Amino acid sequence: MHLIAQDLVNGILAGGILAVVALGFSLVWGIMNIINLAHGAFIMLGAYTTYQLFTAFHVDPFLSLPVSFVLLFALGYLIQRFIMNWVARAPVLTTFLLTFGLALLIVNIALNVWTGDTRGVTTAYSGANFTLGDVTVPWTKLFTLVAALAITGVMHLWLTRSKTGRAIRATSMDIGAAQLSGVRVTEIYAIVFGLGAGLAGVAGTLISLSYALNPTMGDLFLIKAFVVCVLGGLGSVQGALVGGLVYGIVEAFATQIDVTIGGQHISGSGLQDAIALVVLLIVLIVRPTGIMGKATA
Amino acid sequence: MKLRVTAALGALALCASLAAPSAPVSAAGDVIVFGSPVSLTGNLTKEGHLTQEGYDLWKNYVNAHGGIKVAGKSYKVEIKYYDDESKNDTSAQLAERLIDQDHVNFLLGPYGSGTSFTVAQIAERKKIPMVEGNGAAEKIFNQGFKYTFGVLSPAKRYLEGILEMARAQKPAAQTVAITAASDAFSQEVAAGAAAYATSHGMKVVYSNKYPDTATDVSSIISALKQTNPDVILNAGHLQDALLVQKGLKEQNVLAKAYGYSVGPDTPDFANALGKDANGVFGGAQWSDAVKYRGAPGFYTSAREYAKAIDSTYHHRADYHNAESTAACLAFQYAIEQAGSLDPAKVRDALAKLDVTTFYGILKFDNRGLNVYKPMVVNQIQNGRLTTVWPQFTADGKPKYPTLAWGQR
Repeated sequence: MHLIAQDLVNGILAGGILAVVALGFSLVWGIMNIINLAHGAFIMLGAYTTYQLFTAFHVDPFLSLPVSFVLLFALGYLIQRFIMNWVARAPVLTTFLLTFGLALLIVNIALNVWTGDTRGVTTAYSGANFTLGDVTVPWTKLFTLVAALAITGVMHLWLTRSKTGRAIRATSMDIGAAQLSGVRVTEIYAIVFGLGAGLAGVAGTLISLSYALNPTMGDLFLIKAFVVCVLGGLGSVQGALVGGLVYGIVEAFATQIDVTIGGQHISGSGLQDAIALVVLLIVLIVRPTGIMGKATA
Repeated sequence: MKLRVTAALGALALCASLAAPSAPVSAAGDVIVFGSPVSLTGNLTKEGHLTQEGYDLWKNYVNAHGGIKVAGKSYKVEIKYYDDESKNDTSAQLAERLIDQDHVNFLLGPYGSGTSFTVAQIAERKKIPMVEGNGAAEKIFNQGFKYTFGVLSPAKRYLEGILEMARAQKPAAQTVAITAASDAFSQEVAAGAAAYATSHGMKVVYSNKYPDTATDVSSIISALKQTNPDVILNAGHLQDALLVQKGLKEQNVLAKAYGYSVGPDTPDFANALGKDANGVFGGAQWSDAVKYRGAPGFYTSAREYAKAIDSTYHHRADYHNAESTAACLAFQYAIEQAGSLDPAKVRDALAKLDVTTFYGILKFDNRGLNVYKPMVVNQIQNGRLTTVWPQFTADGKPKYPTLAWGQR
């Protein structure tokens, strides 16, 4: 019983991070129809931003959140304005190739700047925890979850209430009608791509608290972002949040599956990825638009 | 048309390369040429450079001390490198080029199990001996290859030393939990540790694996914690070692000893974790504290070797350096014993080799694997790596049991 409660907590804590990992990726894909393969590289840059501020100036990782966001937003904005814009509304394969190339470029520059060494952000309070009944909760991961929920909340409010947010959603619904109503699509696209990169940066900062840094770390998270956002539903804030939490909880429980069939020992944790993908498959069969996705015409 | 011309040229080149004699190769002048495709760029750059340092240090020593004597004649040594970009296929292609175009006499291994495996296939096909010091997966040696030799202790022995040490302490460790990544090397390490434990009266109370792409292992740690083991072992790589060690602290898991197959012996581990790295044990191929007395012909002690690395490359001697140099030494002694540069004769001499060096014993079983050398156990004590086991090579006593979190 206690293990079930502990796994639920582990799953929710891991899922919160996954939600932020997927959020930016989901917005860019849902609104601009670009599958951004450089998302993982942006996450890595966010993590290194935190690492640099932490080692050089002893800035607390949580305080570096806005810095990661602003730096990566600027990078994303410029990339969209001066590079991606050339292939705006090109076939998916073209943007696929371009973002793949960008990812390679960024990762290799990072390898030159930071070398392939593995690094960690270990704060004085790293590993501190408290117990609730039988369940152990690490403070850092709890703060990370709170930050993740706050970020998704703010994003949701901004997209539904602010003028720019509404323009973004209008562009995603009907680009022609949005242009006729005076929305500058080029500008909106640059903002959305910047936002995607900025959120990746934030995710990188949060990840750096529990996961060690390496220039190639982004790939793993790119794959998770992909699954989470298809699972939850494209282009929506709620979708990323629900998708992240479901993925995290499924992985946590999969770990405890332990069966022996005909002398063959099967460990659920060795099959974590496979089990999460089976869940994805089931969701896609039952609800092709994802858990929170709305049917589109 | 153009395509056809290209195809014809390709076929021609293929014929030429097949017709070119792969052996015997004549050394230009009185030089023995070694070739190595090694990770000079890519994600294993760092280890690749350490490998190259190990090779070069040996080359410079040998050339400064009269070279290698073959049937009464002295030969200088030369090493030709290519950058394999840390890629398995590239490494094999470059090995082929070293043999066919550069006519090297022998191959020194690349860095890593993946590249060593692909290059071993080329060495076998071309019948050119390779000695490698950087691929420990037994898979390389279970193919029946006759031309590949590895100076490393095999994967299954990585964690044995830690269990042996923990059994000899007071209070003796009786239960062990093992977590392992799902890749071939880590699975070999974990299976070896479990076999050792059960055959020595210890109980394996928890054993589980996770994908080598895992970014969160907290649920494994929750399950492990319930079994309350004396020793917690992890068979994996640096990234998961850090993930597990952080996770153990987050859930306040207390054990008498914590051991890792890979991690503690690289400076990155202690740098990333700070005080939380203290007390951790790691299995290592070599450390600068080992006390073997080596045969003449090279630095005879680990201390002298470490001093040479420090004065040449200005860093502490790493086990990657030492195992790479050891690969060269295997060639040096085998060539001298063969009294010939003929690849087949040198291969036979390697198969019969039995020599102790600053690195430990160099002796191969019939698969070409050095099963005779024990691993050493290091412990991070006050941020510094100290060799604590086996006792006859140790430069410090193990701190056991490990202190509680927060007191390290």
